[in-house]
Amino acid sequence: MYLQNLYLRAFRNYLEQEVVFHSQKTIIVGNNAQGKSNLLEAIELLATLKSHRALRDRELVLDGEVAGQIEATVKRVYGTADLTIKLRKQGKRTFAVNHESLRRSVDFLGYLNAVQFSGLDLDLVRGGPESRRDWIDGLLIQLEPVYAHILQQYHQVLRQRNALLKAIRKQEQDRQLGLSTTAIDRQQLALWDAQLAASGSRVTRRRARVLTRLAPIAQSWHDRISGKTEMLQIEYAPNVEWTEDEPEKVQLAFLEKMELRRNAEYYQGKTVVGTHRDEIDFTIDGTPARYYGSQGQQRTLVLALKLAELELIEEIIGEPPLLLLDDVLAELDPNRQNQLLETIGDRFQTFITTTHLSSFNHDWIQDSQILTVKAGKIVEH
Amino acid sequence: MLPGVGPKTAQRLALYLIKRSDKEVEDLAQAILNAKKQVGLCRVCFHLSAEPVCSICSNPHRDRNIICIVSDSRDVIALEKTREYRGLYHVLGGTISPMAGIGPEQLHIESLVRRVTKEKVAEIIIAISPSVEGETTTLYIGQLLKPFTKVTRIAFGLPMGGDLEYADEVTLARALEGRRELE
Repeated sequence: MYLQNLYLRAFRNYLEQEVVFHSQKTIIVGNNAQGKSNLLEAIELLATLKSHRALRDRELVLDGEVAGQIEATVKRVYGTADLTIKLRKQGKRTFAVNHESLRRSVDFLGYLNAVQFSGLDLDLVRGGPESRRDWIDGLLIQLEPVYAHILQQYHQVLRQRNALLKAIRKQEQDRQLGLSTTAIDRQQLALWDAQLAASGSRVTRRRARVLTRLAPIAQSWHDRISGKTEMLQIEYAPNVEWTEDEPEKVQLAFLEKMELRRNAEYYQGKTVVGTHRDEIDFTIDGTPARYYGSQGQQRTLVLALKLAELELIEEIIGEPPLLLLDDVLAELDPNRQNQLLETIGDRFQTFITTTHLSSFNHDWIQDSQILTVKAGKIVEH
Repeated sequence: MLPGVGPKTAQRLALYLIKRSDKEVEDLAQAILNAKKQVGLCRVCFHLSAEPVCSICSNPHRDRNIICIVSDSRDVIALEKTREYRGLYHVLGGTISPMAGIGPEQLHIESLVRRVTKEKVAEIIIAISPSVEGETTTLYIGQLLKPFTKVTRIAFGLPMGGDLEYADEVTLARALEGRRELE
């Protein structure tokens, strides 16, 4: 797939900017805080509807404006698509494909695929389990857009079940204090158990499935980068363990674990069983990469994961996704840098941000379209 | 303050009303007040009604063997527009949502169970939207009523005249789940 152009209006620090891309590689040069990463963030939003840097849409709209807009034209094997996202300071986002507005955000996914690689990705190894869950969920949403809906449902069930457990705990506390209480039917919890089991089993089975496919690809990349000196292992460690990949059996495992942890849930007043507590273990030569990996080992691991993502998306979608490299080349040593640049070759349309062109070799600069960013304005060389 | 009315429409309505005669505006105000004072809930099915028992429940031509369960009076109005359904209704007045403090006790469920056990009902059709809360409510009512009668739920899926290729994945997945054998 190929991103032909991008138009930003009142997005981050861009008032109005149109860029036409005409090379497989685009290098975006500029000092810090000029708007380089904002450009990549716009592409990331088009691909995943998420930004790894912003929690609320309010942050994405230029100060003093009520709404911002991202427009893009993507060329796919089957034709081109015009994508539009409208972001608001207050209120919901709206989406359009080929100038037709969409009712559901899920329908917007799948037109553009991208793998983002930034300095923040080291959190994938060093950070808490939620960074790894977010990572695998982000990949799944691109591969199977319906997963966005499944995940949303799971979180809604979780919020409702937590509210009920909290109310039950409050009732119990009031009862012990001798206060009169409104009776909550504990039978109701069984309903939410069933809902959590149903939606949780969908989440965990898809996570397991994608990791099974991703792990060998990541391993082989890791072998190549580390020169086969170290062995990477990726293991899905779901909170609810299951062995047979059948919806009913996985649901049963959820129900059994909830029964087992019943008292803990009553005591804590929240759901302690479910996919919101899943973990993905990375080990190098049998030791957890999170605690024992050196900085270099951790970078190699992240690089292997990102290359595996690229390959898996290409394999499943049938077209190479975009690659977004946010200030990350400078952090890699020459060996890993070459590994990455060689892999990219001409296959993936790549966007690279950097503060200095000097970190690239001559051939690369020759092949690339070079854009300079200064205070929210883009100038072509 | 009225739902579905934005600032522009509100202004248009206000300017329109100011230009009308006093009599017309008074009639409208009176009509709104009357509606508010007279419309309550049907004591059988809890649909909006000006009488103690609504016109659907008191209609002798309706099929008393079937009760369709909906969450809101709006759903009754939508189903009535189809003119396809000849049975009775039962309006729950919401869906189960612990976040909103709504449990089965806050809904018209007890009266539903009484209705189903007392009168001989051949079929219960559950027509509640498939949100997380709607699904939970459907599950609950299904469990509750299955010992007494046949319980079905309406199918969710593709809109008529819609092409398969334009259907979104969520709808398609749901339509597949609710597939039926060809007769």
